[in-house]
Amino acid sequence: MPKAIARFDRNFISSRHRISFIGNGSPGGKALGLIRATEILEARFPTERFPHLEVTIPRFTVLCSDIFDTFMQEGNLYDIAYSELPDDRIVYAFQQADLPFQILGDLRSIVEEVRLPLAVRSSSLLEDAMYEPFAGIYETKMTPNNQPDADTRFRKLVEAIKFVYASTFFKAAKQYRLATGHESESEKMAVIIQEVVGERFGERFYPILSGVARSYNFYASGRAKPEDGVVDLALGLGKTIVDGGLVWSYSPAYPKIGPPFGSTADMLKNTQTEFWAVNMGKPPAYDPLKETEYLRHDSISEADRDGTLRWIASTVNSQSGRLSMGTATDGPRILDFAPLLRLQMIPFNDVIRHLLKAGEETLEAPVEIEFAMNIVNKPEVDNKHRLGFLQVRPMVVSSEVVNIPQNRLAGENVLVYSDKVLGNGVLENVSDIVYIKPDSFDAKYPPAIALQIAEINKRLVRENRPYILIGFGRWGCSDRWLGIPVNWSQVSGAKVIVEAMQENMNVDLSQGSHFFHNLTSFSVLYFSIPMGGNCYVDWDWLQKQTTAGQTEWLRHLHLNEPLYIAADGRTATGVITKKIPSEEAE
Amino acid sequence: MNSSAYNPFQIARQQFDHAADLLDLDQGTRELLRNPLREYHFSLPVKMDDGSTKIFRGFRVQHNDARGPSKGGIRFHPQETIDTVRALAMWMTWKTAVADLPLGGGKGGVICDPHSLSMSEQEQICRGWVRRIFHDIGPKSDVPAPDVMTSSQQMLWMLDEFESLTGQHQPGFITGKPVGLGGSLGRREATGYGVMIAVREALKELEIRPQNTTASFQGFGNVAQYAIELYEQMGGTTLCVSCWDQEDGVSYAFYKKDGIKLRELREATDPFGGISKGKAKDLGYEIYPGEDWLKQPVDILIPAALENQITEENVGMVGETVRLIAEGANGPTTPRADHVLREKSVFIIPDLLANAGGVTCSYFEQVQSNMNYYWEKEEVLSKLDMKMTSAYLSVSQFALKNELSMRDAAHVISVDRVAQACRDRGWV
Repeated sequence: MPKAIARFDRNFISSRHRISFIGNGSPGGKALGLIRATEILEARFPTERFPHLEVTIPRFTVLCSDIFDTFMQEGNLYDIAYSELPDDRIVYAFQQADLPFQILGDLRSIVEEVRLPLAVRSSSLLEDAMYEPFAGIYETKMTPNNQPDADTRFRKLVEAIKFVYASTFFKAAKQYRLATGHESESEKMAVIIQEVVGERFGERFYPILSGVARSYNFYASGRAKPEDGVVDLALGLGKTIVDGGLVWSYSPAYPKIGPPFGSTADMLKNTQTEFWAVNMGKPPAYDPLKETEYLRHDSISEADRDGTLRWIASTVNSQSGRLSMGTATDGPRILDFAPLLRLQMIPFNDVIRHLLKAGEETLEAPVEIEFAMNIVNKPEVDNKHRLGFLQVRPMVVSSEVVNIPQNRLAGENVLVYSDKVLGNGVLENVSDIVYIKPDSFDAKYPPAIALQIAEINKRLVRENRPYILIGFGRWGCSDRWLGIPVNWSQVSGAKVIVEAMQENMNVDLSQGSHFFHNLTSFSVLYFSIPMGGNCYVDWDWLQKQTTAGQTEWLRHLHLNEPLYIAADGRTATGVITKKIPSEEAE
Repeated sequence: MNSSAYNPFQIARQQFDHAADLLDLDQGTRELLRNPLREYHFSLPVKMDDGSTKIFRGFRVQHNDARGPSKGGIRFHPQETIDTVRALAMWMTWKTAVADLPLGGGKGGVICDPHSLSMSEQEQICRGWVRRIFHDIGPKSDVPAPDVMTSSQQMLWMLDEFESLTGQHQPGFITGKPVGLGGSLGRREATGYGVMIAVREALKELEIRPQNTTASFQGFGNVAQYAIELYEQMGGTTLCVSCWDQEDGVSYAFYKKDGIKLRELREATDPFGGISKGKAKDLGYEIYPGEDWLKQPVDILIPAALENQITEENVGMVGETVRLIAEGANGPTTPRADHVLREKSVFIIPDLLANAGGVTCSYFEQVQSNMNYYWEKEEVLSKLDMKMTSAYLSVSQFALKNELSMRDAAHVISVDRVAQACRDRGWV
């Protein structure tokens, strides 16, 4: 535990320490990331340059891993935790056990002082470890914490903590650890209790924007270079970004240039239409098993009524079809963050660039940061704008120079070709392919397909056989109509993922954004195949290969020889050939 | 304990007089608080199993109820005296006040030896006791609880009798009931945990990390066991515990150089807190005479057994390393021994404060019973922690500000609160 971090003193909001801990064990990976973020802010961020914008780490306290140990031992929970019971039964058993007495007074003091939402976040020992991401594997739960009765607030906080503890043993988490070669027994869970950045608007509590910024962009386009980085922004809680919803992407070097949409109609089709917020209104149905128990997913027209779009939207003039920045007139809104990025009414982009630079200098590597921001109308009079710095992680960028000979990029030997490839490297040890059968695929079935993939993945991981996964739509997108809603643990054995499109599933490419950190950290290559370009998959060849196994929607091939797979990160070009080309042939 | 010279009511009054002097209380208030508000003395005829009839003497003393219904246990003891009951009732008034509970203080008793009574005879005493006094006790006036040689069984008989007489279910009439029949989760742990919450806060003030401390306990009943449990969670090491050996009629101290293991020692313990010598030896414990718990080279001593244990005669045995004593039992340190310890700069958390966790949880049981709605254990214990911590902090801040010992500060705060309530009601 770093010395600068204080013990929790029962003053969550009023303490001079923004970060504190309870217990004597490890604070876990995510908390260490937040502590790193604090150090970056203190040492390298030029606060004085932004008089009306406060950049802080939202206050938090960590229940260290020894509390988890005591909870597990005293509650005799290990047998249940390692059993094959479904997730809901595990949560139920955890909810029945008691948290250790030593933390109860501290938890109670939090709910007695704080009346705003709290985020209860996992911070396991393996999570957000420098090069092995467990981000998104364990659960986070937010509680509105606004019930009039302190007993109720206390109970809800306790339930949320136990839910996060239980998520250590959910099926997906166990499979993920198996796939990544970690012993389940070595995993321990610390928990972060953190204030949520945002403001209350009627029955909703949310930040005006959430975002993820990366200092290295594998898909740099136009004038932007990979080193210029990329930022994804969304209205409301960051869940929209994590779940792979529609977001606004731009390069911090060119904030005025947005994604290359062909027309306003295109923009309207691809803009964020819904957002996540903490539900401050009528209590939802009691369901401590559900991560989103206290969240609501609302249309952006609700945000329009809250008045929160004025900083982040442009309006389409329905008669002329032209776009005007802001929300001064009525009309369809597009969340392009133009008032911030084009008019630069707030030096938001400068702050992001400074944070990325400070992160890179501290960690000596490209970095990924997460943040949420609250904007006030008159920062000179009201409180300052506030940007909550939520996480910083190093990114793994392969430095190997991959030169793919030109003659390997085309010809009969090519199985997959793409010039929109994420990742860098050469693989010559993959002989298995799992693909969605193009003729039987229907956009109605993605959730069922996801389950079938998980089964095959489980088997191949157990047999230690890496594979290529080929399918339609955006892998990992929680919206079933946009792609296959797998989570990372369900595809964890894939070394190459191919995202193809066809008539009945033709959406914007995700280019791996949902699994981004996992892909880069595990050096998984991600090939995108849009419709109508020169990228392609040789479906006929796949069809002619002998089947090693199949389901209603999937085929599994086990080839006699390994494939040749190469991706050049500098040009985003990649190829998979049916055989490893001999040197003589070149 | 030298019982012939020990009159607890006299000591209780001396303590009160001292606090009243510090507060400069007026004469009327002093007189009111030096004496119980009400006393009930009655005879309890019991048809014995051998066919004879025996008359037992019972008492209930309501010392003061200005702050809320009287609260206090019922003792079954052959040497029970009205002065003991008076003293204990007065101490309950101070204890509920120092914990800032909306309760007053009371105590009850019956002169009898339960060891020589059958269950049926005990049941008759319990029911008879309630019949004599049920008009003057109840959830809104005086709430009894178990104490010396009474347990949840006696409480249930009393509750049943009270409910029969009043014709209503009134689980808030009495506390100490079993969980499921009106009892509260967390009650078993409450006193021991409460002792250790006070220790935790004292260590913070003394700037000592619990992980760097060792402790020795007198007693291995409920209070000591749960205090040790929390102390272990805090990272402390218990080197020694002592307990009474029923067979040998003496007490022994069980010592382990690297620290006792609560779990293994619990397995070698009978339900009354007696540790089996044979099993302990097999587990590698060294066994010494009982009084040796006092002379261990530890940082913390927790007397959690009986009153009158650290006396003028044995206080010299207390090791030089000891920096803190937390009184888990009622009145374990005599005034003279207390003086010697203070001269040696030992920080003492007085019984009034240290063992208030028990009555605090009894209050929670009363509240739950009155609502007939029962809380989760975590809810009970989190409230216990908050109550105990704020009680500790108010005493320690008062002590610091007024340059008083913790004991004097606790007494002054509680007497002041009760006196204020009497004034507010217009009694004085």
